[in-house]
Amino acid sequence: MTRTKRGRGMAASWYGIARTATIDRAGAWAELDDGGTAKIVTGVTEIGEGILTVLAQVAADELGIRPEDVTIGDNDTARSPEAAHAGATRQTYMIGNSVALASREARNVLFEQIADHWEVEADQLRAFNGEIWALETNLRISMSDAVAICKGRGVVPLGSASFTAHGTGLDPVDGRGAPWQAYVFGTQVAEVEVDTYTGEVQVLGIWAAHDVGRAINPRGVEGQIEGGVVQGLGQALMEEYITVDGHTTTHGFAKYILPTSLDVPQINCVIVEDPDPESPLQAKGIGEPALVPTAPAIMNAIYDAIGVRIKSLPATPEKILKALREHSSDRQMIANANREERARLHERSAT
Amino acid sequence: MPKMKLEMEVNNRKVVKETDTHKRLIDFLREDLNLTGTKEGCGAGECGTCSVFVDGKLVKSCLMPAAKANGAKIETIEGLAKPGELTPVQKAFHKTGASQCGYCIPGMVMAATACLRENPKAGIEEIKERLGGNICRCTGYTKIFEAVEIARSVVAGEAPAGVLDEDEPLGESYIGHNVRRLDAPSKVTGRLKYAADMKLPDMLQMQVLRSPHAHARIVSIDTSEAEAMDGVACVITADDVPGKDGFGVFVHDQPIMARGKVRHVGEAVAAVAAEDLVTARRALSKIKVEYEVLPGLFDAEEALKPGAPVIHDYAPGNVVKHIPVRKGDVEKGFAEADLILEDDFSTQQVEHAYLEPEAGVAYVDADDVVTVISPSQNITHHRHMLADIIAKPINKVRFIMSPVGGGFGGKEDMIYQGMLALAAMKTHRPVQLNFTREESLIASAKRHPSRVHYRMGLKRDGRITAVEFSMLSDGGAYGMSSEGVMRKAAILSCGPYEIENLKVDTRAVYTNNTPSGAFRTFGGMQAQFATESMMDMAAEALDLDPFEIRRINMMKIGSLTHTQQALKTASLDRVLDAAEKASRWEKGAPKVRGATRQDLDGPDTRKSCTLGARIAAEVSGAEKGQRSGASEKTKDSERVA
Repeated sequence: MTRTKRGRGMAASWYGIARTATIDRAGAWAELDDGGTAKIVTGVTEIGEGILTVLAQVAADELGIRPEDVTIGDNDTARSPEAAHAGATRQTYMIGNSVALASREARNVLFEQIADHWEVEADQLRAFNGEIWALETNLRISMSDAVAICKGRGVVPLGSASFTAHGTGLDPVDGRGAPWQAYVFGTQVAEVEVDTYTGEVQVLGIWAAHDVGRAINPRGVEGQIEGGVVQGLGQALMEEYITVDGHTTTHGFAKYILPTSLDVPQINCVIVEDPDPESPLQAKGIGEPALVPTAPAIMNAIYDAIGVRIKSLPATPEKILKALREHSSDRQMIANANREERARLHERSAT
Repeated sequence: MPKMKLEMEVNNRKVVKETDTHKRLIDFLREDLNLTGTKEGCGAGECGTCSVFVDGKLVKSCLMPAAKANGAKIETIEGLAKPGELTPVQKAFHKTGASQCGYCIPGMVMAATACLRENPKAGIEEIKERLGGNICRCTGYTKIFEAVEIARSVVAGEAPAGVLDEDEPLGESYIGHNVRRLDAPSKVTGRLKYAADMKLPDMLQMQVLRSPHAHARIVSIDTSEAEAMDGVACVITADDVPGKDGFGVFVHDQPIMARGKVRHVGEAVAAVAAEDLVTARRALSKIKVEYEVLPGLFDAEEALKPGAPVIHDYAPGNVVKHIPVRKGDVEKGFAEADLILEDDFSTQQVEHAYLEPEAGVAYVDADDVVTVISPSQNITHHRHMLADIIAKPINKVRFIMSPVGGGFGGKEDMIYQGMLALAAMKTHRPVQLNFTREESLIASAKRHPSRVHYRMGLKRDGRITAVEFSMLSDGGAYGMSSEGVMRKAAILSCGPYEIENLKVDTRAVYTNNTPSGAFRTFGGMQAQFATESMMDMAAEALDLDPFEIRRINMMKIGSLTHTQQALKTASLDRVLDAAEKASRWEKGAPKVRGATRQDLDGPDTRKSCTLGARIAAEVSGAEKGQRSGASEKTKDSERVA
């Protein structure tokens, strides 16, 4: 028997998008500004997931400009419309759609003015990446010029929107209800190596397939999956906040162990795009769902490798060793292996 | 306070300053030189966010007394590139999307820079080792590795510098396009200001007195001696709250400072705002609190027993929330089953460990608007709650969300913003409070530890006929997000499978442990850990491949969820197929077949990592003349000869 044993496991998962069992809402304002730039104001800021870039992409796409031309206002309850909280895998879905609708309204104001100016129909107009043109004509100008024309006609191209997600509450007796209008699903496979001498588990590979709806920024989606997987790995194998009679014994990062660069598996992301039929962007989300299947996939892989099932997280080396000791067939295998190795070492030192 | 004169060269500029003798290098850089790109994450040398170069060597500046750096040449994140420019490492971080919240990123860029300065040809294993002292909580490190490898290829001359600026061609839409993160340049250069980096004129520093007891009645608090100290602007307790005290995401059961009793170790009892941090800390020791210790409750099951200590008077049975979900007839479902599995699962309490500890600034503006700037994940709700607490109309309370250095749900609770607002109102001066890591650990909410009792009935063909799922979670001392976490856990409980008969109960209870609250997945992972373990145990018992048993039971379009919602879309079939294909999964029942599997150790896995493995590999590589420049040259000349 070898000292290290490998195995694989998988787990599936599901998750709901935006606030649970309630109506969720978010508002945004948009203005097409001088120079073909834009101001977007909504009550949100980055918590690291990349929402500012996503919103800039959404606004740019709707307005016909470039993401770097979009300025997003600060999240400030006295200066911006309510977009509520940064959590619940709701930012892309709630605020993304709200920004899309507000931007669309501002663009329509501009299109109406330019159509009148060019004497074409508004539905002939297209705008993308800083230019506006009319189909079936040679008319084409920069968005900067288009905004100047619009303002010259006395109109500031503005838009505002509120986006709603229609969740319903749960019945207090049987829980019946429609808590979300959008669901996502995921599956992860884990490959592990267990050191049967030390009890250490290394996760060598993760394959993570997640439905995110339409992916606005695929690299950003990967970043969320990779981060979620590593948080899941931390919870699976090492992290534990311990209290004794209410006093913590894990009062710093020397005691509360977190995954570092050496713990990270190769993470292979597969983005599955099942568009959301209920919302203009057709995107869903990935922030929270990414870490749901990681820990059970790792536990199932540990079982595949050594035949012991860890039902109490985290699967620390101490727990793995204890489980191996109590697992008789494995205990014998390890004893035999140790005996053989001792004999081999003895032989070597004798020669 | 005793002073010392320091002379250093910082970012190629000579600095001569008089400063306090107790300062660490990080304090000197951040406070005296305003170089706030160097972040404090733990104050103990564990996280690496404060990494700087001292005489060319990578050092954690929280571990070095400023006096020790006297005469040294210091390089911080601000000094790596000229204003408006980025180094290859910074550009590569921008290109790959290696920064998310950005708080660890200055330290990470410094560590990566150190790696490539010391070995411009560092391989991936060496890169990983050299970044091993820097913690990132957002990215899973993967995009960081990619960035350092790209920077390495440019620095080593293996790739043209142009690759750092190249992006994939734009198609017909920005949706689906890998637009570079717009906030990355501000993060990789350390220029983005988080709440702890902000300085306002005339600003006071706050420190918080925290409970040493898990459960105790507060007999008296005497703040007079602290208030009389030079440099102390105000001391606040629950008595200073002008309105209706109480906050929480679902139930407003938590006062902004302990009122009448403390319910967990680390709960805020009083706070001091003073001219500087040291005075504020000294003043804390002058506050006298008399406690009468009460019996503590430290276990979720104990909390439900008759006669258990009561944590909140409004909840005599200690139950925060119970969520039931019922569908079909479980008795009938179990009667139809060929196999019934029953087991127990548990998960631990988990810390968010965002690299940015809680921090905030509050002030009262000229129009009497009480303003709080903090990395709050829910300023809308915080504004509502604070307005009630300080008895002001909603438009006289303003919350500004500063850049969040990682949240994961841990910054949804208003655990310190109320104290800041009170002190600002009492002094009419700006007040700042920056948590230490230790404070963040004991005062902020955690992931709910959970116990699940599971019963699953199945037919021989793998179909689930019934599930009974019961979860008990320790909510700790305050309600925070417990109600919502229990609701989500119940809704998602039995996983993405259509089950005709089920009985689900999730309960959270009060104890005197550190509170549990919102944490990425909100109960979803605790519940599905149990379900996905059961699915594999069932697959083993029924001799089914784990993908197969899930396909047999999976939700499809039109399926009724556990809460009897008909699904309009469902993609489980597609993600199962995608994961199975991508991982080259070898079919078979999960019967401990690791030893015989043929799908292991593929090119899409990393190498296993053992102590000294890289060095051993490099030594043997060098012996074979594959690594060092010298041996390569020898090889060339041999060829010429």
